[in-house]
Amino acid sequence: MPENSTKKQVPVYAEPSYQTEWQGGRLEHIHIAPEASYEMEELQEANCVAGKGIEGDRYYKGVGTYSPKPDVRDITLIEAEALEHLVLNQPPMQDEPIVLKPVDHRRNLTVRGVPLNHLVGKYFTVGEVIFKGGRLNFPCRYLEEILGLPVYLPLYNRSGLNCSIIRGGTIRPGDAINPLDPSIVKTL
Amino acid sequence: MSARMIMKLHVSDVYDEAPDVRVLTLRHPIRRELPESTPGAHVDLRLPNGKIRQYSLIGDPTDRTQYRIAVKREDDGRGGSRWVHESLKVGSEAHVSAPRNNFGLSSEAQKHVLVAGGIGVTPFLAMVQELSAADQHYTLHYSSRQPVPPFSDFLKDLCGDSVSIYTTHDPQAPRFDAETAFKTVEDGTHIYCCGPASLIDAVKRATAHWPPEQVHFEVFEPVIDENFTPEPFDIRIASTDAVLHVPADRSALDVLREEGFVLPSSCELGVCGTCKCTYSDGTVIHRDQVLSTAERQDQMMLCVSRARVRVTLDL
Repeated sequence: MPENSTKKQVPVYAEPSYQTEWQGGRLEHIHIAPEASYEMEELQEANCVAGKGIEGDRYYKGVGTYSPKPDVRDITLIEAEALEHLVLNQPPMQDEPIVLKPVDHRRNLTVRGVPLNHLVGKYFTVGEVIFKGGRLNFPCRYLEEILGLPVYLPLYNRSGLNCSIIRGGTIRPGDAINPLDPSIVKTL
Repeated sequence: MSARMIMKLHVSDVYDEAPDVRVLTLRHPIRRELPESTPGAHVDLRLPNGKIRQYSLIGDPTDRTQYRIAVKREDDGRGGSRWVHESLKVGSEAHVSAPRNNFGLSSEAQKHVLVAGGIGVTPFLAMVQELSAADQHYTLHYSSRQPVPPFSDFLKDLCGDSVSIYTTHDPQAPRFDAETAFKTVEDGTHIYCCGPASLIDAVKRATAHWPPEQVHFEVFEPVIDENFTPEPFDIRIASTDAVLHVPADRSALDVLREEGFVLPSSCELGVCGTCKCTYSDGTVIHRDQVLSTAERQDQMMLCVSRARVRVTLDL
């Protein structure tokens, strides 16, 4: 092989980029479940605790279905738009549209106008609280079983984002969601 | 068997069907419709200590606005029914799972023969509502020690000639005779039995010559076999080839969980079907009350069943 082709090139996408332009997202719903398999309950106000989760939620208490698995799971988010696409039967992977209500998807926050798939490793604010995108959420058969709805395939790649809470505080439906420059986080 | 949602339901009505049988009506505080149920289904009721008791749904299965259960107070029992009788009042919160049905009516049957003993009548209360509404051919044989068996008025009104009630406190009164009733195998007839172990055993003996798929049992109590001595065995995990040792005094479920497997379970008595697991390469000692003979060829319940020497689990 010629010398120059073995020269290590820096791939364009190797470093997290903060160039995704977005703003003006909104928090629509907050839900928690007291224990694994318990039905989700809607909150009008929630206390986010840094490094732990939403007060009262199963992952805050460490008793969630996936709590024994090591990963960032303080709080989970899903896009309202993804739920709307299921109603439109997009992608058309099942016989009929699926109505997956915010109370049923088992993620904590339903958000609108927030490109969750772009936020892995990035910081953003929900009201006064700072989140950092962890890993993309993966749909699970457990959700299919508990709901009796074939949501596994249609949620593939848009099942939401698992986040850590960097700075805690109170959140409420209607709170603005915006990107946060990581240099600001370093000064906190 | 799948995971089920647990809901915090409200007790909206309580009445005593008999001095020791309390009927509770449960409604969802927010949702208008509860998860769907079919006749013969049961729900799990969570006790304050985290244990679970299973109760058949006795109401009209087409009414999605409420669930009804009937709980017999068993003072010698494990404490669940006593807690229900003493603590659940109108307005109380009850933690109840979505329904599961291990005892459904066969869609292929032309005739249904239902055999109930005591509080084992509960799954049949839902069944006869559906069978009557669909004008299907059925007979309910209901034996009870009570002079006035619980739900007898309801059953007589609904079922008419299709129900026979046997009051066993009276030594002169006729008894249900399973041997005679099931002497001749009838194509298209399905038999369903729920009641105390003595009745289950009698019907099992009387139907031993029937095709197993035509005979159905609902058991809410574990098998009590005083002669069974658990032996240690090994589990091989198919995906990793790892081998785990299960000591004589522990269950496969316990050992697997300790090793980090996240496995659902509910009754941990071998009657609910939640912890079902596929196996290969091994002789399993089935001690559950939920798997059919066909299912036992490659599935086992991890909570109570064991293996001779070694079994490979599809994990």
